[in-house]
Amino acid sequence: MDQFLQQLVNGLTLGSLYALIAVGYTVVYGIVQLINFAHGEVFMIGAFGALSTYLLFFDGQTGVWILPIMIIGAMIAAVGTAVLMERVAYRPLRNAPRLAPLITAIGISVFLQELVRVFYDRIPFADFPSAKQRIPFPQLDVVSGTAVQIGDVTVQRSAIFTIGALVVCAILLWYFINRTRLGRGMLAVSQDPDTARLMGINVDRIIVVAFALGAVLAAIAGVSQGLQNNNIDFKMGFIAGLKAFTAAVLGGIGNIQGAVVGGLVLGLVESMATQYVPGQFGGGTWKDVWAFVILILVLVFRPQGLLGARVVDRA
Amino acid sequence: MSFPTLPDTFVAKHAAKGWPVGLAGVALVIIGSFMSWSFDRQILGDLSVYGYPGGLQILAIIAALLALALLLMVKGPLYSVMGHWLDAALGLRALSVWLLIYMVGILVAITTESSGLVNIDPGGWVSFVGALLLFAGSRVIPLRELRDLSETKVPGWLEIAGIAVVMAGILFGAAYALAREDAWSFVLFLVFAGGVIAAMFRTGTMTWFSHVATRQKKVLTLAAFAVAFFFPFTQNGSDANMSIATSVLIFAATAMGLNIVVGLAGLLDLGYIAFLGSGAYVAASLSQSAFATIGWKPPFLVVMLVGGLVAATLGLIIGSPTLRVSGDYLAIVTLGFGEIFRFSMFNLDGNNGPNLTNGPNGIPGIPELEIGNFNFGDPHTVLGIELGRFSNYYFVLLLLLGFIILVFSRLNDSRIGRGWIAIREDEKAAEAMGVNVFGLKILAFAVGAFLAGLAGTLKAHQDGAVSPDQYIFLESAFLLAAIVLGGMGTIAGVLIGATLLKLLPEKMRFFSEYRLLLFGLTLVLMMRFRPEGLVASRRRKLEFHEEDEELALAIESELVEEAK
Amino acid sequence: MTVTETVRQPAPAFGEPVLEAAGVTMRFGGLLAVNDVNLTVREGEIVGLIGPNGAGKTTFFNCLTGLYKPTGGQVRFAGAPLAPKPRAVVRAGMARTFQNIRLFANMTALENVMVGRYCRTSSMALTSIIRGPKFRREERATRDRAQELLEFVGLGKSTEHLARNMPYGDQRRLEIARALATDPKLILLDEPTAGMNPQETRQASDLIFKIRDSGLSVVVIEHDMRFIFNLCDRVLCLVRGETLVEGTPDEVQSDPRVIEAYIGTGEDEDEERPQDAPAADGDGEVTP
Repeated sequence: MDQFLQQLVNGLTLGSLYALIAVGYTVVYGIVQLINFAHGEVFMIGAFGALSTYLLFFDGQTGVWILPIMIIGAMIAAVGTAVLMERVAYRPLRNAPRLAPLITAIGISVFLQELVRVFYDRIPFADFPSAKQRIPFPQLDVVSGTAVQIGDVTVQRSAIFTIGALVVCAILLWYFINRTRLGRGMLAVSQDPDTARLMGINVDRIIVVAFALGAVLAAIAGVSQGLQNNNIDFKMGFIAGLKAFTAAVLGGIGNIQGAVVGGLVLGLVESMATQYVPGQFGGGTWKDVWAFVILILVLVFRPQGLLGARVVDRA
Repeated sequence: MSFPTLPDTFVAKHAAKGWPVGLAGVALVIIGSFMSWSFDRQILGDLSVYGYPGGLQILAIIAALLALALLLMVKGPLYSVMGHWLDAALGLRALSVWLLIYMVGILVAITTESSGLVNIDPGGWVSFVGALLLFAGSRVIPLRELRDLSETKVPGWLEIAGIAVVMAGILFGAAYALAREDAWSFVLFLVFAGGVIAAMFRTGTMTWFSHVATRQKKVLTLAAFAVAFFFPFTQNGSDANMSIATSVLIFAATAMGLNIVVGLAGLLDLGYIAFLGSGAYVAASLSQSAFATIGWKPPFLVVMLVGGLVAATLGLIIGSPTLRVSGDYLAIVTLGFGEIFRFSMFNLDGNNGPNLTNGPNGIPGIPELEIGNFNFGDPHTVLGIELGRFSNYYFVLLLLLGFIILVFSRLNDSRIGRGWIAIREDEKAAEAMGVNVFGLKILAFAVGAFLAGLAGTLKAHQDGAVSPDQYIFLESAFLLAAIVLGGMGTIAGVLIGATLLKLLPEKMRFFSEYRLLLFGLTLVLMMRFRPEGLVASRRRKLEFHEEDEELALAIESELVEEAK
Repeated sequence: MTVTETVRQPAPAFGEPVLEAAGVTMRFGGLLAVNDVNLTVREGEIVGLIGPNGAGKTTFFNCLTGLYKPTGGQVRFAGAPLAPKPRAVVRAGMARTFQNIRLFANMTALENVMVGRYCRTSSMALTSIIRGPKFRREERATRDRAQELLEFVGLGKSTEHLARNMPYGDQRRLEIARALATDPKLILLDEPTAGMNPQETRQASDLIFKIRDSGLSVVVIEHDMRFIFNLCDRVLCLVRGETLVEGTPDEVQSDPRVIEAYIGTGEDEDEERPQDAPAADGDGEVTP
């Protein structure tokens, strides 16, 4: 039982992380029917944004009040990246055949990873470590440090932060989408972009907002990841991005609640599989394989996901 | 290269000066090239001898002579022969721009390789001024209306001679480029080649050549293979370049297989490297390497067949979701399969599953390929030229590449090829017309996988080892990039794309740090500005430019022309 | 009636039933797009399908040709039950055109028609790679037949033209040629004269007679009443997914209910359609 609870906590933590990233895939897909493959890189750049903020202004300090400022730094970096990629790379391809944006996304993904790897320690006026190895992520009071024990279950402080962040973000997101003008504009565009344009909604702006919104959540996820793993690296976006995409599909891509549910389910399945799949195919070494198996099965047998989504014929 | 052109009034006023200025420029470039360019004789293959031009100086002289020929076509003895057909003035403009870039490159190279501008000898400055004059002169030589070169009717033997000249140029160019030891010489050679190609485009020679190529398809194909076949004989037994050449061939063969899936059937496969990997793993396991887990070694042809069939089976499995998913989702499914393959090869080490692949260490120590008594590891001497280990593999790989190209082009031009195009155009309509959509898609996956599996079995022996980290997602992305860069659905394009993607990083080692960065950037820029690739297939051009009416009409008139 | 009309041919004797659709029903969620429609088409017969917008005509076509799986009813073709799969339908001998022309835009006219031959030819991968005499014979036959069909519909001179560059009327004819290339016994034409001028319309009806005279049966959806009453042997009028009237052109033409259906119900038709339901009339794809 304790093991089960422990895996439950682990799964929820992992799942919250996936969910935060998955929202980015789903929001963008819902509006422009584009799988933004490079979204994992936005998450990675968010983490580096947070680290840079810390190194620039607070190097060596550990006060928890630094955390919000780091998150803001992460958001600036992530949102900047996402908006720029939309403007420069995706927008010109909006009417191109489907192959074009997907290949562009792969290109952006490689480009951003390399940009960080090669140039992080060469940024002028800053004394950053080289990103060719893993870089230690700052440890702050309250959110990192000794784990909390509840009975026999160990809960990392960063896990509490991650799950908490998801809860807060989910509430704010709900409010944004359903109660603000911009959010309702997004809904309208996702239903029918042409009509929305005729009704005077600035579709280009809504698309930028979608990219930015995804980036904001990815930035928070980047900080969470850094706190949990104690380090970050330029490659962290690839697998995390794929997993989050799986989560988005699992929940029904285009469906925001679905992304959150999908993320949590995927996280739980992954940690439970580590614990409960017997024999040689269990354990941590195969968990990524199981995640991909789930991805494929969902895409093939239930492409509309668990919660269902408007499935456009993607021929 | 398109520079803003000078105002017409300016050109008209100075038109008369263009020709003599250009001629003077040519003379200066040549004179300069016979003088010393560099004080330092250690760099750029010694350009410091008076009277005996070094390699890079000879290139400058060749470019200058080409410019001279073009000048004489504008006004002079060659005008009556070629002047009506070739757009000499425009070609001259392109050539002079590139020659100027070349000379600037030389000066920069000397400055950076040695310490400072002082190392440039007078000859370098003379040639540079010559290039500058030629550039200035070419700008004011007025352009003329010309007849369309593609309408020329020259005798067949002349066309074939044209093909021979171009092919010989490619052979010597490739051999020369590969022989450059330092990166600067290599880059400068690329600038030179770029200039020649640009001039060919601008004069209209390239258009003529592409028409000849369609008319004389068989001759061209044979010539291309002859060039590829003779390449090892230009290397004088040196294995360094042959090792690059074999890796180019493996890459090109695999890319050509993927081209069937992506270029013909229009399905995006992001896990294609897994098929190459499965072929390689089959060959490694059946090689009786000390680390192989299967102690059986059948004849190599059997191994190839098994490798191909295993890959094809995987292809069928990976392709089966096409029944239900398409488009981006399918791409993600294939990516997932590719990752599962890699993780499985990594994990099947005996601890986390049965020991099949020796886990992360892979299977090293794969013996050399042996067919009959012929051991591929031994050097052989043919016609007095020693052919080393890599040359042996090179010839087999060339055969394989030829086979894959054959499969590609014959499938393309058949009932099946038409079905694939129809599916790409409108899947629902194709289905309603009785095209077996699912069957054709899965066929593309299976054939593509089979061919990659064949290539994989050869790769295992050529590398002598297999390991999971050779078959990562990035490699699939590279294969895809070769196709996108070169031109989806074309043969020449994908060959060029694959060659560039493998050769550039090998030759420009100082660049390796930025290799992937540029790779990513190239993908983005290509999709933005030339999604149909360097060598565009007509069909893809049309598909990527749905709104371009003029393009459609132009292509149509070509089609009508060809049908006659 | 004006003088521009083609003289009506004497009604030929019809042969065996080719298509027998009984009780075809198609339901999308809460919307009943086609309800219990029966249709029998005999050899050599031209049947018209009319009805106001949204009456379910195209949906009915989609049910017959396997693009939709009907939720009820049965379709028999040439005496045998027909599986609702596009490929099986084409192989059995029923081909169609689309309301909003769906040609392979970047292929030439000839290639478009050659694709239509796909289901009547058999070269597979290995044959295509080896290129034996059989392959070459079949390829030549395909090309010749395609050329012949282009000439049949009057496009013999446009062989190498790209479909996307062709004038609208030619595209419609090319679509018919492509459908004929599947060697059908019955051809379904979805608004073959939409957007055509009177002269083109007349050519279209000549072409349809020519197709019928070559031994095929034809079902036509049209809005142009004069065209359809002049052309068809029998007319079926659908309203809101149900058969309103069926009979000879004269009978249907004079039926007051038909006139009412066209004049009376045009307005509220759209409003009754639920927002999320797919358009009942049109080719919009629906993933059930």
